[in-house]
Amino acid sequence: MDFSPFYLTLRLALFTTGILFLIGIPLAYWLAFSRLRIKYVVEAIVSLPLVLPPTVLGFYLLLFFSPENPMGGFLDRYFDLRLVFTFPGLVLASVIYSLPFMVQPLRSGFTGIPKAWIDTTQTLGKGRWVTLSRVMLPNMKSALLTAGVLSFAHTVGEFGVVLMVGGNIPDETRVIAVAIYNEVEAMNYGQANTYSLILIGFSFLVLLITYWLNRDKSRVLSYD
Amino acid sequence: MIELALEKSLFGPEGKMKLAVSCQIGKGELVGIYGPSGAGKSSILRLISGLMKPEGGLLKVDGEVWYSNVETVNLKPTKRNIGMVFQEHSLFPNMSIAENLEFALSKGQPPQIVQDLLERVGLKKLASKKPSVLSGGQKQRVALARAMIRKPKILLLDEPFSALDMKMRAKLQEYLVQFHNEYGLTTLLVSHDASEISRMAQRVLVMENGKFSFDGEPRHFFQS
Amino acid sequence: MKCNGKAFLLLLGLMFFYQLTWAQKEKSVLVAAASDLKFALDSIILVFNQEKEITVKPIYGSSGKLYEQLSNRAPFHIFMSADVRYPELLAEKGLTASEIYVYGVGRLVLWSRKYDVKDLGMEAFQQPWVKKVAIANPDHAPYGKRAVESLAFYGWQEKLAPLLVKGENISQAAQFVATGAADLGMIALSLALSPTMKKYQSSYYLIPESSHSPLVQGAVVTSHGESSPESYAFMAFLKGEKAIGIFRYFGFSQPSN
Repeated sequence: MDFSPFYLTLRLALFTTGILFLIGIPLAYWLAFSRLRIKYVVEAIVSLPLVLPPTVLGFYLLLFFSPENPMGGFLDRYFDLRLVFTFPGLVLASVIYSLPFMVQPLRSGFTGIPKAWIDTTQTLGKGRWVTLSRVMLPNMKSALLTAGVLSFAHTVGEFGVVLMVGGNIPDETRVIAVAIYNEVEAMNYGQANTYSLILIGFSFLVLLITYWLNRDKSRVLSYD
Repeated sequence: MIELALEKSLFGPEGKMKLAVSCQIGKGELVGIYGPSGAGKSSILRLISGLMKPEGGLLKVDGEVWYSNVETVNLKPTKRNIGMVFQEHSLFPNMSIAENLEFALSKGQPPQIVQDLLERVGLKKLASKKPSVLSGGQKQRVALARAMIRKPKILLLDEPFSALDMKMRAKLQEYLVQFHNEYGLTTLLVSHDASEISRMAQRVLVMENGKFSFDGEPRHFFQS
Repeated sequence: MKCNGKAFLLLLGLMFFYQLTWAQKEKSVLVAAASDLKFALDSIILVFNQEKEITVKPIYGSSGKLYEQLSNRAPFHIFMSADVRYPELLAEKGLTASEIYVYGVGRLVLWSRKYDVKDLGMEAFQQPWVKKVAIANPDHAPYGKRAVESLAFYGWQEKLAPLLVKGENISQAAQFVATGAADLGMIALSLALSPTMKKYQSSYYLIPESSHSPLVQGAVVTSHGESSPESYAFMAFLKGEKAIGIFRYFGFSQPSN
C-alpha cells in the first residue's frame, strides 16, 4: 500500500504548525496586550479563515500565484518559486487557513496570565522578551498545546484548499484527504477504507494524548 | 529622596475621582500610607513605580526625573530601581523559589545573593520547592526577598501582610524593618492596619478621596 | 517543555533541510490524464514498467480541469485529454513540446448497476426506476458535454434536467452510478469495460455516435516535460503496439483518418 500521502500530510501539518507558532505567538501577544484602536480590524482579518469556505482561499491563491499572473510570474521568474501545485504552496495555504486555530487559543492563554505577574517582571527590571519567554509561555502550556494540536489537526483535515491549489500530485500535493477522495472516485473502496481507518485511528490517538496531557496541566491559576 | 506632585483621574466604585498628591520623602524614611479602600493608596505606588502613567506633575527620585509632564519624561518601570511587594505575592508558579529569586538578578550580579537572601528569610531548605507548596507567610517572605535582590533604592509595599495571621504578620514586619535598616531603603508601606503603621513607620500619609489629608507622626493621627 | 520546544525546532529544521535537498531529486513522469483513462492508463503503465524503470505517476481528472491547471503551468509532463481540442488550445498557448498524438476515439455508453440497459437503449430514460441520472460535468468534462449533446439530440434534455447528477469527472459519474446513488449513467465505454464496473454489470448500451460530437482523444508532451527525456520515452510507448492493444481493449477505436 502506498503510504506516501500520510508522510506528505504529516510533513505538511508539522511545517504548518511550526510556522504558525513562529507567526502566531507574536500576533497573539499583540492582540492580547495592544491597546491600539484598530485592533478589532486585525482580529476580524485573523478570524476570516474560520468563516470563509476554503474554496474562496483556494481561488484567490490560484489567481494570485499562478505563473500566468503578475505576482506568480514574478516569483517564478526571479526566485524559481512556484506557490501553486507545489508543496510550499500548500504550506502557505495551510498557514493562512489554520491561522485562527493557532492565534485564538494563544491569545486566550496570554490574557489568562495574571496582570500582577507582568507588573512584577517590570518592577524587577525585566523586559518584554524575558517576560514572554520565562514567565508567560512556561505558564501557558495548556494554551500552547491546544493551539498546536488544533492547527495540526486542522491542517491534516484540509481538503478544499488543497484540491484547488494542489493539483493532486503524488508525493507533492496529494495529501491523505485528497488521496481518499481519489480512491473513492476510482472506486477503490478497499483502499479508501484503509486510508480512512488509519486516519481516524491516528487522529483519535493524537486527541487522546492531548486531552490526557491537558488534564495533567489544568492547574488553577490562583494562590494557596 | 522622593519628590512627587502627581495628578491622575481614577475610576472607582463611587465614580470618577481625581488623585492629586504632593509630598517629599527623605532618604531612609519608612512612611506608611493609610486610608479607606478606594482612596487611591495603591494608585500612588503604581504611579511611583511607573506601572501607571500620571496625567500631570513631577516625580523626582534621588535627583533623577522619573516623570515630568513639562519635560515629557516618563521612565519605564523596568528602568526604575524599585522593589515592590504586592498583596498577592505573584511568585511565578513554574519556577522554584530559588529560581524566582534568580529571575530577579540583574546582569552581572553574583548568584550568591540568592542563597544569602533565602537564608536571611529562613527559607534556604525550601529553595528547590515550587511556590504552590508554600504557606502564605512563606510566600510573602520569598516575595520580600525577591524585591531585595536588586538592592533597590526604594521599597514599595501594597498591603503585603494583610492576608496573613497575626503571628506571621509580626514576623514579616520584623524582616521588613531589618531589610529597611540594612539596605538603607526608603520605604512606602500601604496598609489599612493602624497598629502596623504605628509600630513600623515614623510618618504616615493619610489619604482621603485622592488627597493627603494628614501628613505627620502616626501617634498624632491614630490617637484622635 | 523547554526541551520539547527545542526538539520541535530541530525536527522542523531537519524536515526543511530534507525538503530542500533530497525531496527534489526524483525523476518521475507526471501524466495528467482524462478520467476515462483510469484503467487503461494504469495497465499501460504496468506494461511500460516491464520494459523501462521509469516512474510514471498518473493524475486523473476532467480534461477541462487539467487543461486549466496546465494553463497555469501545473507541473505535468504529459497531457492525455478526452477531447483533442484541449491539447490544441494548449499548443496555441505555446505550452506544448511535441506533436499531438490521437490515441483513440472514445464512446459514450448508457450503464446501470441493477438493470441491463443494452436492449432498452435510449428508452431506458423512460423507465420508472430512473430517478437520478449521472453524467460528468459538461462545463469541463468532454464526456459530460457529449452527454448533454446527446440528450438534446433525442429531445430528452428538458425532461431529464432535474434528474441529472453531475460528477466532477467521468470517473466520479461512473462511481455515482456504480454505487447506486444514481440509477442510470452516461459514462465512458472505457470505464464500463473495466473489471471494477463489470463486476456490478457487464452490459451497456453504446450511445449512437451520431447524437454527439466525437470524443477524439489526444496526448501531448507539455512544455514542462520538454526537458525530460523520460517523458518522451513514455510518449513513444503510447504510440507503440502494446499501448495500442490496451487502448483497443478498453474500447478506444482508432481514428478513421
